[in-house]
Amino acid sequence: MIMHELGIMESALGLVQRYAVEKHARHVERVVLRIGTLSGVDPESLRFAFDVVSRGTTAEGAQLEIETVPASVYCQSCKSEFAGTDRGFIFKCPDCGDLCGDLRRGREIELSHLEFS
Amino acid sequence: MNNEAATPIAEIQDNYGVHPLSGAATKPARTLSAPLSAEINAALTASPEGEVAVRSLDLRIPLLEKNDILAERNRGYFLGRGLAALNLVSSPGAGKTTLLERTLDDFALHTKCAVLVGDLETDNDGNRLRRTHVPVAQITTGTVCHLDAGMIARAAQSIDLNGVKILFIENVGNLVCPASFDLGEQVRVVLLSTTEGEDKPLKYPPIFKSANLVLLTKVDVADALGFKRELAVHNIKRIAPQARIIELSARSGEGLEEWYSYLRTLAPLG
Repeated sequence: MIMHELGIMESALGLVQRYAVEKHARHVERVVLRIGTLSGVDPESLRFAFDVVSRGTTAEGAQLEIETVPASVYCQSCKSEFAGTDRGFIFKCPDCGDLCGDLRRGREIELSHLEFS
Repeated sequence: MNNEAATPIAEIQDNYGVHPLSGAATKPARTLSAPLSAEINAALTASPEGEVAVRSLDLRIPLLEKNDILAERNRGYFLGRGLAALNLVSSPGAGKTTLLERTLDDFALHTKCAVLVGDLETDNDGNRLRRTHVPVAQITTGTVCHLDAGMIARAAQSIDLNGVKILFIENVGNLVCPASFDLGEQVRVVLLSTTEGEDKPLKYPPIFKSANLVLLTKVDVADALGFKRELAVHNIKRIAPQARIIELSARSGEGLEEWYSYLRTLAPLG
């Protein structure tokens, strides 16, 4: 079974290569991804996928940094955001106690920063 | 004071040199290992315009971009045709195909439906769902663990959607990967069967979190299995307070009317 992290890393590497060509880079030095804690993407699998997918490209050996984005949830009753816990998907507003489903941050799967030489 | 015993902190080597203006080392003070040396040399090489060799770019590009664009295109396409697409997701064996068979035999007689069904291999499900009044397309994904928006776009072109009000998309049996892939559906339906644990929503939260509707299936055998329906519903509500919950059994027919009336609200002209 193919991990979906592999496909995600393939599209990341595709973008990285495109920028590398556009900027006439010799080598990609650093790649930064932003991954939400609730994105369903496993950082360890991403690292593994990066090693596999970058092999033989200008990004081989580049430093891969994964920034995690903590979850933030919006409470309809209080009209404010509160931090989702790391423990999972049950979001109880600390002020009014309502269960909330409006996840505003924490799902990100983004290419956020690139460095080339 | 006796200074003779003092040892210098670092040996300054003969070939050590400092750039008079920048203070940067112009000669290596010691031999560097090859890759590190290359890295530092690259960093010290400035272009004639004074641009530093290592350049950086700040981006904020969603990596599912391609799938998301295709999904939005699908959504527009479905909307334009006046049909509602439902993405049915569950573990293997939760009863997606059985529920669809029953739905096609009852509901689809009055409201025109079509089905796209995904599996890794075989067209068994496609054959099970084939009815003269229902266009069906089987998508075999090979080794891919989910359907993506591109597969849906291609499969949707392959069947006649004329007059279709409800398009059922039966996803690959998997509770993990389909959560990340928007297909352009209007409603995401997650099925949980009573042959699974009541705590499955707690174990696989992303997919339940993304559900618009959760179907608790096979409720006819819940008692025999010692499955606690209230506990399952409680767990679903904790993870997915946004989702509507319908408890049903495709075999006994319990709850099916509620499911059909839900479908009717999606296809008011049907």
